[in-house]
Amino acid sequence: MRFNLGEFEEIVLLVVAAQNEEAYGLSVTTSIEEELKRPVTMSSVHTALYRLEEKGLVKSEIGGTTKSRGGRRKRIFMITSAGKEALLDAKNARNHLWSMIPKVVFENR
Amino acid sequence: MSSQKNISPPAWADRFFNWYCKNELGESIQGDLHERYELYRNSHSRIRSNLLYWMDVIRFINRFTLRKKSTRRTFIPTIMLKNYTLVALRNIKRNVAFTTINVVGLAISMAVCLLIIATIDDQTSYDEFHSKGDQIYRVTHRRLNDVNLPIATTPLPLAEKLKNEYTGLEHIVQFRRGFSGEILDNGKAINISGLYTNPELFDLFDFELESGNVGTALKEPNSVVLRNDIATKFFKDKDPMGEDLIIEGLGSFKITGVLKEIPGKTHINFEAFASFSTVASLEKQGKLSESLSDWDKLSGGWVYFNFKEGRHLSDLQATLNRISDENYNEESEYDVVFSIQKMTNITPGPLMGNQIGQSMPNFFIYGLVILAVLIMTCAAFNYANLTTARALTRFKEVGVRKVMGSTKGQVVMQFVIEAVLVSLFSLVIAIGLLRLLIPAFEGLNMSSLLEWKLNPGTKVYVQFLIFSLLTGLFTGFFPSLYMSSVKPINALKGMDGPKMSKIGLRKSLIVTQLVISIVLIISATLVHRQIKYMINKDYGFNRSNIVNVDLQGQDFDLIKPELEKLSFVERVSGANNIPSIGRHDDIELRKNVTDEEVKYNYFSVDENYIDNLSLNLIAGTNFTPKQTEEREVIINEEAVDALGYESPEKAIGGNVILGDSTNVNIVGVVKNYNFMILYMDIKPLLLRYNPEEFEWAQVKVSGANRIDELKQMESTWAGFDPNHDFEYNYFDEQIEEFYSMFYDIVYIVGLISILSIVIAGMGLLGIATYSIQTRLKEVGIRKILGADGKNLILILGKSFFIMIIISTLIGGLISFFGNKAWLELFAYRVSFGFDIVGIAFLFIIVIGGLTIGTQTWKAMRTNPADILRNE
Repeated sequence: MRFNLGEFEEIVLLVVAAQNEEAYGLSVTTSIEEELKRPVTMSSVHTALYRLEEKGLVKSEIGGTTKSRGGRRKRIFMITSAGKEALLDAKNARNHLWSMIPKVVFENR
Repeated sequence: MSSQKNISPPAWADRFFNWYCKNELGESIQGDLHERYELYRNSHSRIRSNLLYWMDVIRFINRFTLRKKSTRRTFIPTIMLKNYTLVALRNIKRNVAFTTINVVGLAISMAVCLLIIATIDDQTSYDEFHSKGDQIYRVTHRRLNDVNLPIATTPLPLAEKLKNEYTGLEHIVQFRRGFSGEILDNGKAINISGLYTNPELFDLFDFELESGNVGTALKEPNSVVLRNDIATKFFKDKDPMGEDLIIEGLGSFKITGVLKEIPGKTHINFEAFASFSTVASLEKQGKLSESLSDWDKLSGGWVYFNFKEGRHLSDLQATLNRISDENYNEESEYDVVFSIQKMTNITPGPLMGNQIGQSMPNFFIYGLVILAVLIMTCAAFNYANLTTARALTRFKEVGVRKVMGSTKGQVVMQFVIEAVLVSLFSLVIAIGLLRLLIPAFEGLNMSSLLEWKLNPGTKVYVQFLIFSLLTGLFTGFFPSLYMSSVKPINALKGMDGPKMSKIGLRKSLIVTQLVISIVLIISATLVHRQIKYMINKDYGFNRSNIVNVDLQGQDFDLIKPELEKLSFVERVSGANNIPSIGRHDDIELRKNVTDEEVKYNYFSVDENYIDNLSLNLIAGTNFTPKQTEEREVIINEEAVDALGYESPEKAIGGNVILGDSTNVNIVGVVKNYNFMILYMDIKPLLLRYNPEEFEWAQVKVSGANRIDELKQMESTWAGFDPNHDFEYNYFDEQIEEFYSMFYDIVYIVGLISILSIVIAGMGLLGIATYSIQTRLKEVGIRKILGADGKNLILILGKSFFIMIIISTLIGGLISFFGNKAWLELFAYRVSFGFDIVGIAFLFIIVIGGLTIGTQTWKAMRTNPADILRNE
């Protein structure tokens, strides 16, 4: 695999892509909590985002502010083309593995 | 929602976050945190939300948030070192006066600290030469039903018991006291004092033999091993091996070994070791008191040991507890518990009774350390004050440095380096001063008592160096922070440095120093007064022109007529102890056989005693001379009360029982006099007629020609007892000598108070210079407008005067309560007079007046035109 993407990082990256230029720390956190019903701490999401940025899979930009944040600006994360490639890569790899599972496996559940 | 908008997350959590996260991520993270807090508030209580918020904040501590903000390349600070040193040296050279004040101030206080370091080093150097040193322990005990002071001795049977009941010890060495007596050497009696001990001594401790065999030297009864200097004292160049030492009262001992010179100090005080196997026979003959198998003889001896490999304190403690349970309980005379003490914790160590040699209590060491810290803090304050005062002239330098790209850290570094340099200069002077101080300190009584040998070695000098480097870092820290906060634009525009509220801080530093000085001055004066008071106090008896002659075992009845033959001798009386120097004996007393016994202090005297000491007999008569049996007793007024008589007259003829069965009649009552040390109250006292116990002849002389009188008495003594030197003391001198220990304290406290005054004076000088320099223009304008000298002094000196008054008030209060604490230990004490506070106040006013006055005068003398021209 070209991109060393952890499971949690992949989820975060997917959410960033899904929110398309609207993603920031808290939105990603709540989205994971609501969509996947999986409890996460905000700091781990942030950490994952920064790590993804270090790997060049996302880029960040200082965005606008809302009243509720006490005038503090958001850091908006966007997926880079490398990030997109990494996601596709991961998806293809899974699809490939899925296709290798014989049908019987799921029939006898 | 809108009502909750105003409720913000806990401010402390935010502050904490801002403290640890200083980089560009901070803002967006905190925004997210706040938004999330609002979500919490929608579904949780306030407290719970706050808690969750805190947890979020704490979870955010990670490598991304902790990362430093700047990506500026790291600058190697050492590059500038040479420049800093150069500039520092130039500055030092340019301001000779200032540097001198700084260096001298630091050096004086540093010298005292060095002395303290050397002392601590010296006092912690005991028993370092033993190779097993840190594995050696001893057993100590504590009496639960008596004074709760730990005591270093243990009963003698303990060693044997431990050997039998606990297998985990490698070597057990026990010491027993009582190996002391006189040895006749060429017709002169010389004292020797040592300890009985067993051969394992050489296995446990690193005492080595110069001659003799370690295996056998202490094996046979009546063998003795001498310390090498003692051997030389007795035998000069002769080989002492195999010679016999005849010790009066103990018998003959064969010398089986001579120790090599001991390579250091040891807490065990001995001149010789005698074989422990001697003890049994000496006790049987009655030459030593029976203690070999007596569990109640708690001062029997000392037990030292080390463990076999793999054995530990805790299981030995269990054995010791079992042994103490077997031998003692709440009903027995003593209820004893044993504990184990490491040898390295003996001196300095906890205060203990019955030490085997001298030992410095560790609170003394702590006291010294506190003192050193206090002194150094004062000195560092001063340095800070003086440097910031001088900094006025250096703002431009800092400004230029900053414009050229110096960071705050680098400016701090520069000034710290300067301070370190000054502190190193001071160290050199301080070491010089120390060389002068050491002989003065070694002359103190106290130091000879503690075997205070201050000859600092390399190790100590390394400590000095480290100490002075630390001092430099510490003293340079505050001024450097101040200097580095200079804004270059202001500095280069020629404006003042950072407008400091720090003048307030510095004022409080000065006040602190003044308070310390005042407390020390007052305490030193009080201590001095108390001691003088004790020495000159009317003891209630006469002590002038009395020579106390040590009988040294001679018969009082035989020497008395010889002394009385001398023309100048008025009267001779005998006594067992000298009053007022802390020694007296006790005896149990009851009125009826069925009464409970009460302990009374007593002195054994004769019929001349009352006349000799001019005691005031207020009722009854003196002793009948030449009694053969003890039938009479004289008591003091306290004893009259204690025995329940209504008046001294009523007590006469009363009958009391002394000890087991000595019936005596009260024949007289003397007025109370101070027979105890002066800090204790007068207690009930008995004067017994008991010549058997006499150890002193108190000779009342005319005192017309002291030297001649002494000579004649000496020759009388020599004709009487050629074996002993004539040992005498003048009574008044003896008492004075007894209290001279206290003079040491006055000496030390006095020295320190002078020191603190010097330091505080310098501090005043610094702040006076600073504040007057900043007000020069004001002075100029005032002068032009017609202010005269008086006005100016008033204006400039006012704030200092207020500072001095405040410090006197605080210092007076602190010293009042502080000194009350120790003064109350004394039954006879001087009162805390406000004249003392007055003296201290005057002292400070004079010093302050001198320092401030000179500065004010200088300011007044400057021509206003010179100051104002620059505008």
